[in-house]
Amino acid sequence: MSCKPGELCYEGVKRRRALAVLGLMALIFVALSAVSFLDSRGQAVPSAVDYVDVDAVAGKRVFQAYNCMGCHTIVGNGAYFGPDLTKLYDHAGPAWLAAFLPSAGSWPTNGAVKLQLQDKAVAAEAGADTIEAYLEKYPAAAERVARRGGQTSHMPNLPLSRQEVQQLIAFLKYTSAMNTEGWPPVPKVDGLTFPQATPIPATVQKAALAPAETTAVAPVSATEHGAELAEENGCTACHAPTKEKLVGPGWGGLYGSTVTLADGSSVVADDAYLTEKILKPDAQVVEGYEAGVMPSFAELLDAEQIANVVAYIRSLGEN
Amino acid sequence: MFRIEYRTQRLSLRFFMVMLVLFFFQTALGLLLSAQHLDPTLLAGTLNFNVIRTQHLNLAIFWILCGFIGTILFVGPLLSKRELAAPWMIKFLFYALLAVVAWNLATQLLAQQGIAGWWMGQPMFQEGLEYLEAGRIADVVILIGFAILCYVVLRTFPPLKQWNEIHWGLGLGVLALTLVWVFGMFFVERLDLQEYFRWYVVHYWVEGVWEVIHISLVGFLLVLLFKADVKSVGYAVFWGISLVWLSGLIGNAHHYFWIGTPEFWQFWGSLFSALEPLPLIFCFWHIYLDAHQDSKPIPNMPAFAFLLGSVVLEQVGAGILGFTMTFALTNVWSHGTWVTASHAHLALFGTFGMLGLAAAYYAVPIMRGVTNFDQRPGKLAFWLVFTGMLGLGFAFAIGGTIQVFVYRTLGLDWFGGDVGPAMLFTKAMVPLFGLVFAAGVYLIVYDLITLGLREPSAAGDAVQVPALSGWSRHLTGWETGIWLLGMWVFGALITLGLLSFNLATVQEGSALIPYVMGGVGYPGLLLVTLFFVRRFLSSLEARGHAKVVPLVSAAAPAGAT
Repeated sequence: MSCKPGELCYEGVKRRRALAVLGLMALIFVALSAVSFLDSRGQAVPSAVDYVDVDAVAGKRVFQAYNCMGCHTIVGNGAYFGPDLTKLYDHAGPAWLAAFLPSAGSWPTNGAVKLQLQDKAVAAEAGADTIEAYLEKYPAAAERVARRGGQTSHMPNLPLSRQEVQQLIAFLKYTSAMNTEGWPPVPKVDGLTFPQATPIPATVQKAALAPAETTAVAPVSATEHGAELAEENGCTACHAPTKEKLVGPGWGGLYGSTVTLADGSSVVADDAYLTEKILKPDAQVVEGYEAGVMPSFAELLDAEQIANVVAYIRSLGEN
Repeated sequence: MFRIEYRTQRLSLRFFMVMLVLFFFQTALGLLLSAQHLDPTLLAGTLNFNVIRTQHLNLAIFWILCGFIGTILFVGPLLSKRELAAPWMIKFLFYALLAVVAWNLATQLLAQQGIAGWWMGQPMFQEGLEYLEAGRIADVVILIGFAILCYVVLRTFPPLKQWNEIHWGLGLGVLALTLVWVFGMFFVERLDLQEYFRWYVVHYWVEGVWEVIHISLVGFLLVLLFKADVKSVGYAVFWGISLVWLSGLIGNAHHYFWIGTPEFWQFWGSLFSALEPLPLIFCFWHIYLDAHQDSKPIPNMPAFAFLLGSVVLEQVGAGILGFTMTFALTNVWSHGTWVTASHAHLALFGTFGMLGLAAAYYAVPIMRGVTNFDQRPGKLAFWLVFTGMLGLGFAFAIGGTIQVFVYRTLGLDWFGGDVGPAMLFTKAMVPLFGLVFAAGVYLIVYDLITLGLREPSAAGDAVQVPALSGWSRHLTGWETGIWLLGMWVFGALITLGLLSFNLATVQEGSALIPYVMGGVGYPGLLLVTLFFVRRFLSSLEARGHAKVVPLVSAAAPAGAT
């Protein structure tokens, strides 16, 4: 492969020839690249995709700022710790995402998704008004709610503001609209019928025990009912029964304590205050928390149900 | 040649030392990541997976660059027959490098709060793009660092007319290193366009620039180790670089299959990147030729072992495993799974990491003035990291095959409930082999940092030259060809295994064919690799140690043909 010492190697000629071929290849590459991004191709662009009133470019900035690619893949690139997000909007829909993202540490329940649909803008984007219609339109959301709802997820809670959540959803709406040439491949079978889909043992146990408990206890006290409501409606995704802060403040020891508000004033967390927070969460913003993260439950819970939830919170505060 | 010829060569020592420290931390973070894969709640909220993974990737890039810079500074004066130009700039480069590493370590943590530091539309602190996570401030400092490297290398080199192929390789390499970096320095709104340019940096770095620097440096280290003829090595370097660029330029298209770019890239990518292993086979063949041009003993076995490891893992990790997933029909399955992590670990650490370690093992004893160092820790460490890395590649590949089936074929996307548990066994193998690897890393770091400073060990005298039979007999070109063929046969099996995901029976839910082919192909490939390197090194060991047993080997010339 080499010219022997002392022989003429014609190195200069060979270098020039190699460079000429390389130049030709560079031309091919540049031509292919130029064609790839022509408008006539009809590829989705983020500046043209809106979700509610934010555009997908802002969402891309949020996506990068939280280094989402460090755990997930997008168009298949990134880390393999969590699932690919390219087509998630198409599969799970905006209401599920809106329920999941603010409290990513736990999977949204039926009630949590339903709550998001109360927002007219979200319902309009989803193209479904009721939870039934929504779950039918987005089967991946139905599967997630049924199999994972209320359980802890493996994603940490991120300090996403309400606006950032909307921007992220806009970005995912854009990636779903992208033409990725048939990737990821569409499965030909229903994976849920395979043994690989068997829930982890602890979950099976929990699911098997849960109905037995509810049938055994016939009359339910207000506190117990409140606890159930808190779980069903996704309150527990953000509020721990202890003092721990998940997304919102923990409920342990909250009742009767003095809460400092963002404007510097303070208020005692009594029945009236807690009821007010559930109905109009942004009326009195607590110091260290952002407005707009907690949704209002006014349309979802009636007065008695709210009283029960407050009773549950009261029971956690009596220590 | 156990002394340095030029005073400024000594400047490379500090880069080698920093390389070792960063390598150690990178490995530790890798172990932590594998633990988080087993228990995702570990440190969640305190040190999230994405932040640690970012450091794992960025430290890999930083320490590989340290290895390159160290090696270039060490060989630069030898290539130019004069001192390095502007040594004060190299000192500045060194402190700038330390500052950027520390800065990047701190700013990446901001991802947990979603703070990118947007200013004038650019993320100043961190930008959350795989491999290019560094923010714009760090980007600019890194660009200045590359420019300094270019200036020093080009000013040190002799006039253009006197350049041989190694000068050309290194000169073009450092220039392209700087140029390509610029494509990662702006925020792009469109995801497809952003990915398009991101691969300019990532692909053209590894397959254009780093590969060229790698070929040039391997070539020159062979000249130094074996006193090989510069002209014959230079020719190999010329063809190597030509083939790398001719296949790799359009070969970048294999990253443009599914990012939103048109379908025609699948044709160009599949065609040209299938040619990408050619220069690697060429390089592989050349290390055999250069090591066997005479039968003299190898004075520095650890340096040669890492150099061989670099070329062999380049063949296996970059060449063969890259080839298996480079076709649109196999890539559609492997894309976005652990299958690619197997290729990435073997290729990146193998090719570029081991080159830096080889250079360090060659240069550090010379700079510390050690004439006869104890080579046993180095050799043991080589086997630990080599075996550990092959094991990691195996765990990732098998885990990835399971992941493709569960995630893509069955369409189950619950990582905590379905995909994770299915991969659990292979996830557990990662920290297991990771510990073997980490033990090797610890040994390398300890050995090289204290080499020449610790108490010299007298045990080196007890080394026995193995007999010229069995594993140690002379390695012929034919036999090497058979080993290489064996690797490619298993590589073909892996390729067919990935291809079989397209079969109707697999898509109907039977994993038998891909599991069997992957289950035979991956361990087969990695075991052939392991045994080939053992065979190669044993045959060279049998030549004896010129430094360790000078009189004995002179009396009975081992392996004389």
